[in-house]
Amino acid sequence: MNNYNFLRGNYQMDRNDSIDIFDDMNNFFPNMNMQMPNQGMMETQKLYTPEEAFTKGNLFANLYEQYKNYKPIKLVANNEQDRLYLDYARNAFAAHELNLYLDLHPNNDSMLALFNDYRRKADSLRSQYENSYGPISISSDVLVNSPFLWEEMTWPREGGNL
Amino acid sequence: MWAYEKRLQYPVNIKKKDLRMAKYLVTQYGGSNSELAAALRYLNQRYTMPDNKGKAVLTDIGTEELAHIEMISTMIYQLTKDATIEELEEAGLGAHYAEHNKALYPTDANGVPFTVAYFAATGDPLADISEDMAAEQKARAVYENLIDLTKDPDVLGPLLWLRQREIVHYNRFKELFEYYQEKLKNGNNK
Repeated sequence: MNNYNFLRGNYQMDRNDSIDIFDDMNNFFPNMNMQMPNQGMMETQKLYTPEEAFTKGNLFANLYEQYKNYKPIKLVANNEQDRLYLDYARNAFAAHELNLYLDLHPNNDSMLALFNDYRRKADSLRSQYENSYGPISISSDVLVNSPFLWEEMTWPREGGNL
Repeated sequence: MWAYEKRLQYPVNIKKKDLRMAKYLVTQYGGSNSELAAALRYLNQRYTMPDNKGKAVLTDIGTEELAHIEMISTMIYQLTKDATIEELEEAGLGAHYAEHNKALYPTDANGVPFTVAYFAATGDPLADISEDMAAEQKARAVYENLIDLTKDPDVLGPLLWLRQREIVHYNRFKELFEYYQEKLKNGNNK
């Protein structure tokens, strides 16, 4: 049943039917960093950097809503391990945000390119972290070392970092 | 299937014991608008979505909710782990200790245990996704109530962050709702 031509056809149709919720964003964000000419119109929206997005919990500036006068808490890395962890978490989060966006807009090539950019960065940063500080993923190469580091390394709930 | 990552989606490192706050916070673990209810709701509803957009959005947001359960659980654990029995009793957690010792247990802030009656599944994409939108709004409102109840930046950081995730998820579900509304109006439900 993996008829990919049929799937492509479906997406094509979806695209024509889709409602563009960012249609009016041109008026709000004159200095756009994203352009999506493949949507059939100049649809643009502002994205935060992975660092700012991770701090705020939101990659998409048009969706960000502050609560009362609460500013997001700034995360500060005090050592190399925290710095690497944060770098990885930020890029993984940016890729995840674009993942959710692309689920709804699978034909958006510029968002797809950005997703792959952050995904590759996150993958590489995770390997770097794992090589120095132990496995995050059960498929990590550092698991060749004895004893079994998956069990040996601190569990996330124990805290201590950041 | 799922692959676990041995980290939190956003860091939780609470240094100060606070049983009062833990008692309130548990509602986002096992209350009607909890992360647990969200994860089960979305991961259960996804099978009957009319096309891949719905299946993808519900799977990916449902998966993220699992990571939020872990964040909330971690916060409750860190807020309570150093408490003495006397302190638990003083904070009104004596009954919890009697039932569960210091183990976590999904209840709301009044101690009412989690139930799947907190969510629905109708098989109707518009009905199910409207519920999902409402669920995100209710969880956002509860996060705001919880934010009002603490001054500890170690607690506020993750709460503000999780609140923002409710807003993003709400908007993604809204997009999905509007997309299906158009699609189903055009008599194209496959």
